[in-house]
Amino acid sequence: MNIHLYLSWKLESRMRARDLNKVELVRQKAMELLVRIGFEGFTMNKLAKECEISVATLYIYYKDKDDLILQIAKEEAQRMSNAMLEDFDPEVSFEVGLKQQWKNRAKCMLENKITAQFLEQLRTSTYQEEVYGTIVSNFKITLGKFMHNAIKKGEINEMQLEVYWSVAFAPLYNLVRFHFDGSSIGGRPFVLTDKVLWDTFELVLKALKK
Amino acid sequence: MEPDFKDILLFKTNIQTADDKSLIAKVMEKHKIKQWTIDQQDVDCVLRIVSPVLKLEEVIHLVSKNGYQCEELI
Repeated sequence: MNIHLYLSWKLESRMRARDLNKVELVRQKAMELLVRIGFEGFTMNKLAKECEISVATLYIYYKDKDDLILQIAKEEAQRMSNAMLEDFDPEVSFEVGLKQQWKNRAKCMLENKITAQFLEQLRTSTYQEEVYGTIVSNFKITLGKFMHNAIKKGEINEMQLEVYWSVAFAPLYNLVRFHFDGSSIGGRPFVLTDKVLWDTFELVLKALKK
Repeated sequence: MEPDFKDILLFKTNIQTADDKSLIAKVMEKHKIKQWTIDQQDVDCVLRIVSPVLKLEEVIHLVSKNGYQCEELI
């Protein structure tokens, strides 16, 4: 190998070292693009263009489109579910615990709009099972424990997890969705304020608490 | 474990169909190339090989010999 070839080879391998900033850029742009154009229209070429990097760089990090979507989804789902459990203790009273959950979830979604929309989109896709099947088990265990504690202590009635979730969290998710859209039913302008959030929380609490 | 990035070889190909892929699978097997994938959802049908020993030219020669286009993905 002549010296020029050797030098350019060295340079190339150095450039290929995993660059954390670049990985973060790719992750953010990939989610933005997926939210904007959907899973079908998304291609590695479009993503490379958005990031102003070569397609080859993307393939260094990921095997293919599915690998890219799954890896990013798993990392983000894990990050979000960790954030949602912050300062949360499944042993506290129902009211205190649920309030912490609302606080964490609202903060998480509002501060990570693109991630929240991306994960929501994922829920109705074929990737859903692989992402949620394994990654969020600690999350499910902790929250299941919290609900069962509340039943055991006689704070709420016995009910299916799905029923509980639909009453406890779906109203919050819906308010956040309206907020992201900037409008609610029939195009009415909508902004999620603290007052709206905590008034709704009180209603939910009233519905669930014995 | 994450591969060493300098061991990742990338190619633009026309290995488009399931039949094409199974033919290439046999070629890979014959040459004891274990870590390879093709992104057939992509227009470039990107072939990705992880190997510390293979050279770009060797792969290009191997794939071309079997009737497919193959060039380095830049």
